[in-house]
Amino acid sequence: MSDSPAPAYLHSTLSLHKLGVFCGLAAAVWLGTAEAPTKLVNSGFSPFIISMGMVMGAFVARWTVPTLLKGTGFLFQDLHNKPHLIVWALLAGMLWAVANTLTIFAVRNVGLAIAFPLWNTNSLVGLFWGWLLFKELRGSGVKGWAKVLGGAFAIVGGAAILAVATARQSDTPGKAAIGIIAALGAGVLLGTMYIPYRKAYISGMNPLSFVTIFTFGELGTVFLLTAINVGGTSNLFAELHRARPMLFWPFLGGFCWVIGDLFQNFAAKYIGIGRGIPLSNTNQLWGLAWGALVFAEFTGLTTTGKVLILTGSGIMIAGAIAISMADPGTSELVNWKCAMDRECDRYSLNKDQVSAVVAGDDPQAGQPHQRRWWEVLIMCTAVGVFVWLALGTKSQHLAVSMPWMIVLVIGTVLPLGICGTLLWRRTRFS
Amino acid sequence: MKRFNVIAILTDLHLWVPVAVLILGTMLLMTLR
Repeated sequence: MSDSPAPAYLHSTLSLHKLGVFCGLAAAVWLGTAEAPTKLVNSGFSPFIISMGMVMGAFVARWTVPTLLKGTGFLFQDLHNKPHLIVWALLAGMLWAVANTLTIFAVRNVGLAIAFPLWNTNSLVGLFWGWLLFKELRGSGVKGWAKVLGGAFAIVGGAAILAVATARQSDTPGKAAIGIIAALGAGVLLGTMYIPYRKAYISGMNPLSFVTIFTFGELGTVFLLTAINVGGTSNLFAELHRARPMLFWPFLGGFCWVIGDLFQNFAAKYIGIGRGIPLSNTNQLWGLAWGALVFAEFTGLTTTGKVLILTGSGIMIAGAIAISMADPGTSELVNWKCAMDRECDRYSLNKDQVSAVVAGDDPQAGQPHQRRWWEVLIMCTAVGVFVWLALGTKSQHLAVSMPWMIVLVIGTVLPLGICGTLLWRRTRFS
Repeated sequence: MKRFNVIAILTDLHLWVPVAVLILGTMLLMTLR
């Protein structure tokens, strides 16, 4: 199912496992980079408003990127063929929104050092659901289990060490229990969010169609929760208006987030959530690189702190390597196919067609789709929103290392180009 | 959406696990506020 040879027209013989690993790592780069623009936001704004700005930016990008890559005709056709999955895409967006709000409470109450590793356990929750509901890792043998489970634990452990080494804990208030519960709750919600991801992809849905619907559940729920937390919609709009000079930064972060999220979705499709999510959760390394190299956040760090950062990074990289080397064997792939057949039987899907899409060979992907006039409108609107926000934007006066920024921007754009090309050549973004 | 698909959705464990987690998560969030 997963590693069937690619059709000749796709011009690539790359295995789907390798493609999925590349996608997971590219996701980490972009999800980590998404944190960088938000560092330029001036202090004095509610974290709910910054989060709302990021989700609004993500909403714009989640319509624009799929439209640019595949066209609305393809997206509507895909949704029309599997309408039941709209429910799961909306549900996933809602789960993300509640989880994200919980993380704000967690950071407020226990600080990032304790909160981050706790909600980073979402990859272990996702791994559990992948095993229980989608037969991931079934029949993989002791070696496969050791690589994936060991790798996932290493990434969570590395995240814990990095968080302890880098977070400033001095402003941690005393409501520890509330913060810990909130962080654990966020981890469970985020891990459970991957159930809809995996369900959609073993049913042959395109990740680009999935995120287009996901964003409605996400924006709607975030809007509702933010309105509740800031004391009503009128307060919310007043806060957004006040935040207008800095909104470009969270919007830009939201845009980067969507690129990372798309790669994460392709990783979940081609290597499953048990392998794909821990890999993309190494995003903390990239966030750390931006903070340390570009924004010089850790100057004056003690030797112990530096040793902890190197140790945490090393453990995290070792975990990612272990998972990268854990190709699913034949017996595991048989189990993956059983999970796919279950969806086909339950929702009367064409098994041959779904099987082809799951193997990266969507019959629709090779066909040219007519471009519509409203696609130009969507693109122009998105660009217009970003340009309008960029005009008159103010940022926090931070010392920024330009040489490191150039290096990291190149290091961020390169995986986009390489992984985007690999995806196009091997699957035509299917 | 066809009627049998609605029944298939409503009797799908893959729906109720995330729904239950979403409800519990929302209750937790409202309690913590």
